Amino acid sequence: MALTDSGSMIAQPRQGQGSLLNNAAFRAGVYQAITLAVVIGGFWYLVNNTITNMSQRGMAAGFDFLTASAGFSVSFTLIPYKESDSYWRVFQVGMANTLLVAAVSAALATAMGLIIGLARLSNNWVIRNLSRWYVEILRNTPLLLQIIAWYFGVFTLLPNPRASMNWSDTFFLNNRGLYFPAPVPESGFGIFLAILAISIAGAAGVILWGRRRRLLTGRIAPVALPALAAMVIVPALAFLALGSPLAFDRPALQGFNFRGGINVPPAFCALVIALSVYTSCFIAETIRAGIQSVGRGQTEAAKALGVSSSRTMQSIILPQALRVIIPPSISQYLNLTKNSSLAIAIGFPDLVSVWMNTALNQSGRAIPIVAMTMAFYCVVSLSVSLLLNIYNRRVLLKER
Amino acid sequence: MAKEQKTSGAAAGAAAFKTFTPMAARPAPKDLTGVTAWLRTNLFSSVPSALLTFLGLWIAWSVLSALVSWGWVNAVFQASSRRECLDKVGLSGACWPGVVVWIPNLIYGLYPKDQVWRINWGALLLIVWLLPLWLPRVQSKIIIGFSTVLLFPLLASYLFLGGPKGWIWTALIAVGLTGFLWSLLTAASESLGGGPFLRLAARLMGAKTAEEEAQRGRLALLGLFAIAVLLVTQWNLDFVPTRVWGGLFLTLVISGFAITFSLPAGIILALGRRSKMPVISLLCTTFIELFRSVPLITILFMFNTMLPLFLPAGVEVNQLLRAIVAVCLFASAYMAEIVRGGLQAIPRGQYEAASAMGLGYWQSTSLIIMPQALKIMIPNIVGIFIGLLKDTTLVSIVGLFDLLSMARAIARDPGWIGLFLEPMFFITVVYFIFCFAMSQYSMSLEKRLGAGERR
Repeated sequence: MALTDSGSMIAQPRQGQGSLLNNAAFRAGVYQAITLAVVIGGFWYLVNNTITNMSQRGMAAGFDFLTASAGFSVSFTLIPYKESDSYWRVFQVGMANTLLVAAVSAALATAMGLIIGLARLSNNWVIRNLSRWYVEILRNTPLLLQIIAWYFGVFTLLPNPRASMNWSDTFFLNNRGLYFPAPVPESGFGIFLAILAISIAGAAGVILWGRRRRLLTGRIAPVALPALAAMVIVPALAFLALGSPLAFDRPALQGFNFRGGINVPPAFCALVIALSVYTSCFIAETIRAGIQSVGRGQTEAAKALGVSSSRTMQSIILPQALRVIIPPSISQYLNLTKNSSLAIAIGFPDLVSVWMNTALNQSGRAIPIVAMTMAFYCVVSLSVSLLLNIYNRRVLLKER
Repeated sequence: MAKEQKTSGAAAGAAAFKTFTPMAARPAPKDLTGVTAWLRTNLFSSVPSALLTFLGLWIAWSVLSALVSWGWVNAVFQASSRRECLDKVGLSGACWPGVVVWIPNLIYGLYPKDQVWRINWGALLLIVWLLPLWLPRVQSKIIIGFSTVLLFPLLASYLFLGGPKGWIWTALIAVGLTGFLWSLLTAASESLGGGPFLRLAARLMGAKTAEEEAQRGRLALLGLFAIAVLLVTQWNLDFVPTRVWGGLFLTLVISGFAITFSLPAGIILALGRRSKMPVISLLCTTFIELFRSVPLITILFMFNTMLPLFLPAGVEVNQLLRAIVAVCLFASAYMAEIVRGGLQAIPRGQYEAASAMGLGYWQSTSLIIMPQALKIMIPNIVGIFIGLLKDTTLVSIVGLFDLLSMARAIARDPGWIGLFLEPMFFITVVYFIFCFAMSQYSMSLEKRLGAGERR
């Protein structure tokens, strides 16, 4: 039956064979036009409804409120802020707090993730299994639960300031947070910074010279120690010669509370610890997968050539593993930045909490505020993925 | 040692011409198997390793002993209020009775206690529906699996919500029930060797040719639907408003909805993003990138504050539905990227071969590309499901009573005021069991599916 069908098709072409309906380009155009019409229609419907609803409820739109005074206080700010500042300033405060949490947590998560990831590859059975269960338990429980547990279960249960935990009268931990000395630059600190910059540049120069020499002559120059010396000893001597131009303002108990120093509120501590512990599991798994992705033959070949094991790690395994490790790690940092929005559950004033919650409730400008918050996260994540794409293109295996 | 042998061998060679003296055999390596060897290689291979072993054992011991003494040795298992617990052991031991009393609430939320059987029956229904997937002789596993994912929500909606139903909803519930009956009958007839149920029914109705079989099969399905409609119209349940839904039940409802919705939506979005039509590709890419780059909590807030503005005046959307819509859209954007990754892993030759065989776009996608891509994606899809289960805790921030909120509500119960660590510990264990089981299952599935490719 099928045969006669196709046979008849060849004998006498169906009507419409040459019509527009069988033209792929035309059909693609029609599909796209229909999709576009549906999407635009849907948008128009939503916008129309929104305008009607807003006029009914007497809500105003637009960004004119940004210059108005916010009139509420924020419990923790990285950049200076007072109640009479504008809404625009509140937005900046929120962004700065979010970025601060993300940066501190990312650094801690990387350090912990590196240790745990290497521990998972250890030859030692105890260490291997300990790190395995650390990862399994922490990444299989919700982050929000962990944040709440750290905050209400640990940091708010700490002793009051008078009975605070004390490390050599420098660091204090109590239910108002962590107190540590604030650095106060004195005269001559600028000169010290300049010397520091010059010595770092010098160390970088030594390393680059060593690399070039290696590429030209094949000899490995011992640059690690001279570079380290240039980076540490020179600035240390300069620091002493200038008469220690950096003082520390130590926190001290006065009455019922601490004065001086820098105070990090408990919500910040809980958020940073929960975020970095949670993210460290994912980073550890990434690092483990990256190192395991380098074939066993590579290590064996290096050993056969008599390359030392630290050199093998440094020059053979890591460069290949980093190619696999870096892209997922960066997406973990992005996830961390997004997850920092859970700060709202413990009252830390990050962007979502201070802007999308407090400022929105105060001003009632739902649409601009939601749009600005989403725009911030979009800009952060799109710029990071742009950088990641550039990196990926650079490290792509050059195959011929 | 070897050198010594060589020189002595040379001396011997000088003395007695060409006498071959073999090198003395090296001693056999010390035990390579057994307990001591295992200990040596795995725990005490070197001094630093031995130190690490003791450090690790010390960490494990301090964590476990603290946990056991708090949760078991010093814990109180019989008490009527938190005061009683505190009088007995203070804060050194857990106060479990508070959690035990609240377990029904943690599971069902504030769902009326005389109606809780409906949730239990819903869970049982789901298990029975999925059971054929583990029966070895059932052939239509894929379609039974899809019918569960797509039709169970229809049936469950009435089971959980109840109340008066209009004719559209009646029809939808009947579709769900038809799917359930069909799955059961198919599983039964295939297990007993009768082939697919619809073919069997058609043959019983006297179908001879394949065409007649298809026709009467459809007739049988229609008959099944008629029976289902009849059953559904006789089925009356009390209305339970969504505001009293809560606990583990709510968590599973939200994540279940998200899982059901995100799989097909993600596939469509991924195909759209890879499409050669610029408008469609641009729209899909924008949607995916927008929803992937903002945190879930902002989407939940947005739907909470803006959905009432978007809809015509007078249309009420309850809070649960707002949260579900937000989580579904969020999940489908992530799913789309997973699907895209799977599609990219399929070699070009497969597409080319499919079009050389004369298959069109939809045929080659659904018959050639998707089955291979889905197999590659399974671990990542399960990863998304685990993520969703964990992320549903966020709905507690927008005022829904999920497992986390219910656990925190115990601290406000007058009898158990301030009880915090024990319920948190309990729900941590619940979440861990769900997520860990899923990840282990996905790993075993990956191993089984990838068996063909492993050398």
